Amino acid sequence: MKSYKDTLAYKQIEFSTGLSLIYTGILLFAAFDFSPFTVRPLIMILASMNGVATVLQALLVLKIRKNSKKVLAINSTSRKLAGGLLLSLLIGNLFIVLSSLYLLKKKLTTGYIYAVYMVLTDLLVIGVSSLNLFKAYVTNSFIPFMFLLLFVLVFHLVVLAGYNRIEAMTGIIRKVFLLFFAATTLVGNLFVLFVMISLMQRTDSETKMTRRKGIREKIIRNQASMLGLLFIVFLVAISICSYWTFNYGFAVTNDYSNILQSPSLTYPFGTDNFGRDVFSRIVFGARISLTVGVLATVIPLLFGGALGAISGYYGRHTDNLIMRFLDVLYAIPGILLAITIVAAFGASTTNLIIALSIGYIPSYARTMRANVIQVTNLEYVEASRAIGNNHINIIWQHVIPNSLAPMIVRATLTIGSAIIATSSLSYLGLGVENYIPEWGNILRTGSEYLETEPYLAIYPGLAIIALVLSFNFLGDGLRDATDPRLS
Amino acid sequence: MKKKLLSTVVLLGTMVLSACNVTTEDEATTGNTNNDQEAVQIDLLGAAADEKDLNILRDQLTRNGFEVNVNQQPDYASYRAQRDAGNFDISVASWTTVTGNPDYAVRSLFTSDGDSRVIAPDSEVDELINQAATENESEYVNTYSELENVLVTENAYTAGLYNSLKAQAFNKDLINPESVNLYKSRAFAWDTVQFNDTSLNETEPLILTQTESDLTSLDPIKGNDGSINQLNTNMYVRLVNLTEDDTVTSEASLSYDHAIAEGNTDYYFVLRDDINFTSVEDGQAVDTGERVGADDVKFSLERASDPESVPDHRTYSLHEYIDEVTVVDDMSELEDATVAEAGTSVKDALEADLDTSINSLVTDKTQADSAAGNYQVVKLTTTEPFPQVLNYLAHQSAGIVSKKQVESINTYDIENFDINTDIPYGDQRAVTEGDTYDNHLYASGPYVMIEKNDYAATFQKNPAYMPETDNAAKIKNVTVRFIGDMDSALSALRSGEVHLLYGLGETQYQVVEGEESLELQTGPSNAVQYLIINTTNEDRKTAQSEDLRKAILYSINQDDFIQSYDGQKEKAFTPVTPLVETGNELEADADLAQEHLSNYLEQSEE
Repeated sequence: MKSYKDTLAYKQIEFSTGLSLIYTGILLFAAFDFSPFTVRPLIMILASMNGVATVLQALLVLKIRKNSKKVLAINSTSRKLAGGLLLSLLIGNLFIVLSSLYLLKKKLTTGYIYAVYMVLTDLLVIGVSSLNLFKAYVTNSFIPFMFLLLFVLVFHLVVLAGYNRIEAMTGIIRKVFLLFFAATTLVGNLFVLFVMISLMQRTDSETKMTRRKGIREKIIRNQASMLGLLFIVFLVAISICSYWTFNYGFAVTNDYSNILQSPSLTYPFGTDNFGRDVFSRIVFGARISLTVGVLATVIPLLFGGALGAISGYYGRHTDNLIMRFLDVLYAIPGILLAITIVAAFGASTTNLIIALSIGYIPSYARTMRANVIQVTNLEYVEASRAIGNNHINIIWQHVIPNSLAPMIVRATLTIGSAIIATSSLSYLGLGVENYIPEWGNILRTGSEYLETEPYLAIYPGLAIIALVLSFNFLGDGLRDATDPRLS
Repeated sequence: MKKKLLSTVVLLGTMVLSACNVTTEDEATTGNTNNDQEAVQIDLLGAAADEKDLNILRDQLTRNGFEVNVNQQPDYASYRAQRDAGNFDISVASWTTVTGNPDYAVRSLFTSDGDSRVIAPDSEVDELINQAATENESEYVNTYSELENVLVTENAYTAGLYNSLKAQAFNKDLINPESVNLYKSRAFAWDTVQFNDTSLNETEPLILTQTESDLTSLDPIKGNDGSINQLNTNMYVRLVNLTEDDTVTSEASLSYDHAIAEGNTDYYFVLRDDINFTSVEDGQAVDTGERVGADDVKFSLERASDPESVPDHRTYSLHEYIDEVTVVDDMSELEDATVAEAGTSVKDALEADLDTSINSLVTDKTQADSAAGNYQVVKLTTTEPFPQVLNYLAHQSAGIVSKKQVESINTYDIENFDINTDIPYGDQRAVTEGDTYDNHLYASGPYVMIEKNDYAATFQKNPAYMPETDNAAKIKNVTVRFIGDMDSALSALRSGEVHLLYGLGETQYQVVEGEESLELQTGPSNAVQYLIINTTNEDRKTAQSEDLRKAILYSINQDDFIQSYDGQKEKAFTPVTPLVETGNELEADADLAQEHLSNYLEQSEE
């Protein structure tokens, strides 16, 4: 028999409890100063409040589990408790907020879930940006842009609260509203797009009785990959918003009176050996890491994909010619090839992207070729050929769309390694110019002070780990979602 | 409902923001707004090792209205290629005066025929340098001060950035701290070092490190770089040495004493009789029985000053002032020559600290016997009066090699020398383990290299180096490990794999101080980081405009450098600063920089 324990909301609340526990643990660890042994009172209070929230959340899980045997829904007490737990937003525990928002909705829809993530992203961006208030001064566009962000947040909250009503809207109001809603994507919150798609599809699904679930709908079942997606979208959003909310000067201008300061509210991650704010540097570094990571994945995806498709579809000599050439390229270790290219043409962001891209082409070509060979032998391709379709059409209409899924999964998983490669090259001094904030650059500076000022290496290191993990989780989720055996 | 919510949030937001009293950038920086003049593009060149300096310079120049294009080369060789090609407006460079005298610094860098000239030829500069060379220490201060002003203040050819400290760290539980010296110019000397437990001196090797494993040459005159300076210093004895603060001394050198005859062109050295060459037999250092004598000194110094004596001679420019080296056999010459200022005879001056006075002079080194008063005296004549020549004689390239041995190894024809088939004296292939191993070294110093591979070189004490004196080497075996990266070398020191680490970076001081078993020694050095403002390449805008050069000059703030290196640097006006107290100092002046920059822009528009 199906029970509430199988529902998405229950799985999410369990997942959130675990994360909340980890979050509390980290706070607790941060609350102690080990040499000499002292307690930081503010963080201690925050940690204990999170502890209380986690315990309440755990009780809620137990209660729901007990009740779930009888009914397939949760009762109103549980729902009220979940509502109360929304307050954990004030103590920064977004995980509990996330699961509570799940519980508060009677009927969870894909659009609603994405709306929850959309609001969480807004909250994260606003929270991180407002840390600038502790600086000596903020950038000129800070105040108006923060208002804009707050406005967007309110708007998104309205969408979240009245999701069903908005879904039900019709006519011109709906069009204007959707247009307005779509415009809020401009702050970098990609979840808006997902919510949009859900809102649009609502009408389509009424006409079709059964519609196959898309990747977007399947991936919400995987909490870890949603968390990864949240972090990635957050980074995209903060990279865009930082143009207006962060002061680039703090990240690149040397301040000799503030060299190697420990983390504080003014400098949340401390300052480096030139007195630059590491926090601002990491925020601005996200932009480069993401751009290089994504471009160094998209370029080989396109080139490798095209070469693989051609050699897989035509076979024989074409196949041999292309693949043997790519085998030669494959024989050179990617990072070595990148180092050679950068050393020969000089260190710059463009060269870095080209260098990394070339090394990845063969592996994409191989994946694509294998898929295409498989698809080419299927009946529908044969049928298409039989009715006289030309090669180009067959490739575009049948072969490529049906062999793309593994490529997307592969791309997501390799973005992680591309980001690491970017940082490694910067770490070796071969990436972007070293005063420009890039995660590998920041880490390199930190490595010199590993023993005396470890935070200089820890924070950029954590940022790299978090981003790479996020892409890996997302890639995992995508693989599950595209695997026909799992659906 | 929506509107209500919206207005509440906006209201709340306004309250929060106003309560925080947010200052925007414009409000915070009123008063020092940048004026609207166009930024001047400028190319800054440096090697990866200068990353920190490049960043500070980029920052300072950007603040003063330049748009800096940083060209950071991954290694020294490619940096040097760019620099030699003149592809820069300004370039970070470093200079260490290894001889401890100012002439070496300015002659190489600034004279028209200097071997590493960094400025356009300037006759005024040449004259001042040549004038200072003939002067004594007391006289040359003003001349060098004037030279510095011509170089920096008047023409802005170059600008000093800072003067570094020299540092070394060692394991004080193991090594006796009092036996370890830190010299300002001279490379680290191993002979004085001993273990706390002196019984270990015979059994335990002293383990040191250096970065380069590829040794230029173990022939003293064929190399002058980090790969061999320390090794050759300890393998070859010289006529004189430098003390920790760069004074010339005969202490622990081949001479008992030295004297300068009136006129500053004749220099006399009375030689010791208790140093023999050592060679390696069956992996052990043995006494060859061949004494280090006047003929070897004559041979060594003559080949040092003759550019044609060996292929790939790298140090002749240091010794170009040597005109003639003779073995004195006529006692009357010593008696007739008088010492500058003191007015006594050279003989008296040389005898002053000898146990037995000079009875006779011998030309055959085997006949020398200090106890009987039979000495060898060498006279060195310079082409011009040049008191600083003694500093050059203390440099490792003036190390004394065996005439007999070097002549028997260097049998190749110089014209047709081929590095692939001929193994010259001191070639590292002769001491590298494997097929080519054929150790032909004859060391006159306290140690001799037994063999090397890519990871380490082993040395053994010279058994016939001043035995029965305090100058004999204390520790029998020395191993120099090649560790390419200073951070790894520091780890090796902390884990006890290495006993002493020479030349630490500023960021490592704190780590060493935090370690109980380690002792950190720091002292002044002659290493200066300076800026070359390109005047050698006519196409560069810096070569064309003095105003532009001065705008760059006054943008430099040395205080920022010192602060960023945690106070572990000293100010430096030019490479001469650590050697001569001229009192010149470079003051950053944004207004002056701005003025020169405006002048430059006006001129370039015309």
